[in-house]
Amino acid sequence: MSKRIWQHPDIPADENTVAWRSVGQLENTADFRNWLEREFPQGAAEMADESEAETSRRSFLKLMGASTALAGFGMAACRRPESYILPYANAPEWVIPGKATYYATSFPRAGGATPLVVTSFEGRPTKLAPNPSHPEKGGTDAFTQASILDLYSPSRSRRVLKGGKPSSRAEFEKAFSALAADKGAKIGFVFGRDDSPTRSRLVKELGSKFTSAKFYAYEALEGEAYKAAGSGQSQVVDFSKADRILSLDCDFTELDRVGPTSAFFDRRKPEGGDYKNKPKAEGMNRLYQVESVFSLTGGMADHRLRVKPSELVAVAQEVLKVLGGGTSSARYADWVGTMVKDLEANRGKAVVVVGPRAPEAVHHLAAEINAKLDAVGEGKPLQIVKTDAGELGDIVALQKDLQSGAVEHVILFTPSNPVYDAPSDLKFGEALAKAKISIHFGLRTDATAHAATWHVPVAHYLESWSDARTATGVYTIVQPMILPLYADCASELEVLTALLSDEGTLLTGEGEEEAPSPAYTAVRTTFSDLAGDSDEAWKTLLREGFLADSKYEAGEFAPDASAKNKALQNAPKGGEIEVIFATDGSVYDGRWIDNGWLQEAPDPISKVSWDNVALIAPKTAKELGLYEEIVPLETPTAAVPPDGEGEHRTGKLISLKVGETTVEVPVQIGFGQAEGTVIVSLGYGQGFNAEDELGRTGGEGHVGLVGVNSGFNVYPLRSTKNGYFAALAAAPAKTGKEYSLAAVQEHHSMYGRALAREVSTAPDKKKGDFDKQLAKVKKQGMDSHMPPNVSLYKQEDRDGNSLLSDKLHQWAMAIDLSACTGCNACLVACQAENNIPIVGKEQLAKGREMHWIRMDRYFAAQPLKDKEGNYVEENGEKVYDEENLAMIPQPVACVQCESAPCETVCPVNATVHTEDGLNAMAYNRCIGTRYCANNCPYKARRFNFFDYNKRNPLVAHNLYRGPLGEKQVGTSAHLQRNPNVSVRMRGVMEKCTYCVQRLKDAKIRQKRGQKQAALASGDSTSEAIGVKQLRIPVDSVKVACQEACSAGAITFGNMLDGDDSRMMRAKGIERNYDLLQYIGTLPRTSYLARVKNPNADMPGAELIGKATINMH
Amino acid sequence: MANIFPRWTNFLPFKIAICAGALGVGVVAGFTYYATPKTLVVGYQPSQPIPFSHRIHVEQLGLDCRYCHSFADVSGHSNVPTSNTCWNCHQHVQTDSPKLQPLRNRMDPLLKHPDFGKPVEWVRIHKTPDYVYFNHSAHLNRGISCQSCHGRVDQMEVVYQHENLSMGWCLECHRAPEDHLRPLEEVYNLEYDPEKYLAKKVDGVTNAERLGVTTTKDLGLKLKELWEIQPRESCATCHH
Repeated sequence: MSKRIWQHPDIPADENTVAWRSVGQLENTADFRNWLEREFPQGAAEMADESEAETSRRSFLKLMGASTALAGFGMAACRRPESYILPYANAPEWVIPGKATYYATSFPRAGGATPLVVTSFEGRPTKLAPNPSHPEKGGTDAFTQASILDLYSPSRSRRVLKGGKPSSRAEFEKAFSALAADKGAKIGFVFGRDDSPTRSRLVKELGSKFTSAKFYAYEALEGEAYKAAGSGQSQVVDFSKADRILSLDCDFTELDRVGPTSAFFDRRKPEGGDYKNKPKAEGMNRLYQVESVFSLTGGMADHRLRVKPSELVAVAQEVLKVLGGGTSSARYADWVGTMVKDLEANRGKAVVVVGPRAPEAVHHLAAEINAKLDAVGEGKPLQIVKTDAGELGDIVALQKDLQSGAVEHVILFTPSNPVYDAPSDLKFGEALAKAKISIHFGLRTDATAHAATWHVPVAHYLESWSDARTATGVYTIVQPMILPLYADCASELEVLTALLSDEGTLLTGEGEEEAPSPAYTAVRTTFSDLAGDSDEAWKTLLREGFLADSKYEAGEFAPDASAKNKALQNAPKGGEIEVIFATDGSVYDGRWIDNGWLQEAPDPISKVSWDNVALIAPKTAKELGLYEEIVPLETPTAAVPPDGEGEHRTGKLISLKVGETTVEVPVQIGFGQAEGTVIVSLGYGQGFNAEDELGRTGGEGHVGLVGVNSGFNVYPLRSTKNGYFAALAAAPAKTGKEYSLAAVQEHHSMYGRALAREVSTAPDKKKGDFDKQLAKVKKQGMDSHMPPNVSLYKQEDRDGNSLLSDKLHQWAMAIDLSACTGCNACLVACQAENNIPIVGKEQLAKGREMHWIRMDRYFAAQPLKDKEGNYVEENGEKVYDEENLAMIPQPVACVQCESAPCETVCPVNATVHTEDGLNAMAYNRCIGTRYCANNCPYKARRFNFFDYNKRNPLVAHNLYRGPLGEKQVGTSAHLQRNPNVSVRMRGVMEKCTYCVQRLKDAKIRQKRGQKQAALASGDSTSEAIGVKQLRIPVDSVKVACQEACSAGAITFGNMLDGDDSRMMRAKGIERNYDLLQYIGTLPRTSYLARVKNPNADMPGAELIGKATINMH
Repeated sequence: MANIFPRWTNFLPFKIAICAGALGVGVVAGFTYYATPKTLVVGYQPSQPIPFSHRIHVEQLGLDCRYCHSFADVSGHSNVPTSNTCWNCHQHVQTDSPKLQPLRNRMDPLLKHPDFGKPVEWVRIHKTPDYVYFNHSAHLNRGISCQSCHGRVDQMEVVYQHENLSMGWCLECHRAPEDHLRPLEEVYNLEYDPEKYLAKKVDGVTNAERLGVTTTKDLGLKLKELWEIQPRESCATCHH
């Protein structure tokens, strides 16, 4: 039988959309086609050369022959090895061997703590999940999910350092108690930007004990919002009240946390968050985004304006002017004018949010706009609140005080790394050296740890008692899951309480025998002040994780005109090319550089892992003459592009000069960003060793194996005045150097068009109104003209019974692209739940990443028309509209096809279907032929080319050393493993299992009910047990990705629950479609098309939400 | 000299060697397949650090399985008792027995023994491979007794492995659970005899009459139907 050949219909001349994942796909390079057609690039599945070859086939046969012969002499392995069972001597309360316990706690951080429920096995925390009963109903982002790995990180700081050299805790305690005894000591305390009520209480007490003490807060990317919010105040956005949102460079769904976002996402779904209503455009909110980078929030936006960061002030002024009745003549006049009309029409329900890192002037202007829009106050979308922390000094003040001697000793608790990441003009390292005693508390032995007189390992938040406030000020507890793993660790509250005592004895961990630990006592005292000191209230707090009905007090909203004028004068100046120091989606400000999960998670936009790159918009790159350098010209038939493929992919280094400082960074094309900008993310290049490919040096011992040689440090370009962006002193110049990059954007590319679909609430001239577009969602792309394949295999056994025979459960999933931003939280959560190893940059470049969820990110653009309606052409080719570029992310894991192509090709039945609809993988049966992966149209299967779990892939060439390689069995990282999931070994295939261990656990737990029923009735044989007792309650089991998603984009459940299940309601709506439906695989995971809600009067509105409706 | 052996005999030794070899391999393979136990561990009976006798504790003293294996019906693992469980009684009972010295060393603070507070190292007898996720509670709560897998532990002086715990053996029962199902009340009763159960009268009616069954096989089938027992045979049931 031959392959089906389809005559695709001719595409109407006005219906052409281009969609692409990478510049390679846009240009249709040979490299890309290779990724498309092959599972792995040429050579990735073979031994490259003799030096890499651990064993050739020939030597393998030789060895096997010899060992078989030897086995005859020895019979060495016939005895069963003796193993032991070691029960507890005294059983700890609540611990049942083999069962997880769950505790409520929270992850304290700037912008509000993230409330969590922690899964613990025999006292060992293994997985974090959001706290579902918390009033903010948030999820967890990738950072939170990955934070558990920091607890077990092999490179975590374990010992006290003095001047960067190993010292001892006893020696430190001596110096520490001397400091505590000196009441006149001029101590400067530097905290993070999180808000802890107990800390704030202790700070007051410290202030009265140490009369000359000063208190500061510092985080590298704290931005300037705090300057404009008023003393000790902050702003919280309530998205449930916001019908119209104007975001000025605010990535509020991901990196810029300005308030709980779950309500925002609920209102991106035209059927409502629970999919209960008829689809209505009116219920949706509308997001206007003005930004220079292409953020994930920008991808969600209904209208997006690209401006240089220096123009933000002008845009805000423009908005203010139009609000005041003026008209404007700037280049975005149309855009702003129409938008302001829409905002005004929704007075009281419209809000302006500003990215915390935008210049101070923008914050002041936004406050005025919000005042005019009547957005502030009770029942309005914006609240001004008083924080507990009150007013704390910033890094500039600290540096001045250190230089002047007003502060003689520094105690640093900040999670940032000021020696490395403070604005370069402050020369913070020099100021710190002036301190008589500087004590750094941190998880890593970073640059500040080495520069300070003392470094003390800080206890992880999962190891310490504390409390925190969430964004809206809900009091939440931080309780320890485990004692500090290392004896030297001390927590922030333990240190502060020790300083308050006269002797200055540092009690950590459990504290003294027979007495509660001092941090516990401190938190309990704070809590008593809030809710009384009854045991019951305290126990409720520990169980629920938060204090019900607690919130921040309302603050005062008083836009300050004089501060505004000052800020306007001081607003940073732009230039022809501006470099933006972006917050990094993987390492944030650099604090996560040693976190393997985050490092390996590809950047949501650039899809580069393990490094940062400079992104330049294609047009700007062409103008600067860099485009050909980045995307080498080639003929469509060239077999191998000039810059190599896969592992040989490189980025060309360009030099960026700000003031007198120059740094070199590899450059890539970035779509959708403002012209005339270069975006580089911060936080990389913290330390190098001999393996560095560019021969860089410095930062020795600052980072572990994960973060070493990773990326490029651009902090030196950043100064107090230019914290967010700076004008380049010279145009970016080629350097002729190259650097290898691992980008996953072309890996696992799928055939087919309109994979991630989109519709618009606004009527389209040809495709009709919202309802008509909805009705056609299932018929976009290939599905418009190709009937699905019919499987030749019957889903029946020999007796004609359906193979999907389970009458209790049939599992399925729906993923709503209208809410998905593409943030990687699910990807990291899956990694934590399913023991997925990291593979390292070298292996990743070869396309061997193991992530079960792959985050595809598509760009799509429509051809540009001029005012007369004719296509704009350049050199005979249509020009695509980059202003209204669409970005649609799409998470793809195994879709659990009912008619799965992988199952039919497995020679050993290692992948088979279960009765409840899972495509199961039996690792111990798999022999590694990889036929299944070759036959998977979704490219959802991952192969263990090496024993990534056992052999550390981060040690150079380690994987190729075979049995001689360095093993990592028994290192601390293995404590994180989920005991209910097999750790896979070399040579087996793996993929998403729908968290089958959770499903099994839920089913077994449900069956225990039978015993309860029997005990109640007195005779187990007297009553029948049926579906009602054995089927798990509706929507009671959550898979790891679903649980983590803060957007509620993933729904999962039992198909037999019908419309009671949120998942089935989602599948029932018109936006639901199957990925690659025409192949006829009958996937259990389906997708819901993204909906854009544009304002029909806006310029370019006819191009919004049209990414895929014109695809055939 | 004339050729004694015709030319065809040149390869005769090779042919004989190949045949003999094939025969040898066949005999070994046949013996391995048909004549050896499915796994080599049935009857595995290591000596334990404390010679604990299940016979004394269960048959003579009448302890329930769950007094020590307290979480067997709650958790996937059936726990081995903590030293504290032993110590509850044995700080009062058999206080001089030399057999219990290892326990006293670990639990009696007055002895100041270096092993104090350390766990007893019991030698593991029943072991499934790492990639097998067997769940005790799933079986116990659905009418499968301890005895089906562990044998008459109540009569064992020293515990040994009674069944081979191979996958084939698991599947045998998953395909025909009726041979092992029993009323939930009888799950921990290792002396259970289905004949006696059926003959037993409650309120003047035998269990057989009440349930409408005659043979013990019928009883199993009846329970299977009554409780909707549908054991899975798909890989993901135990391997994930």
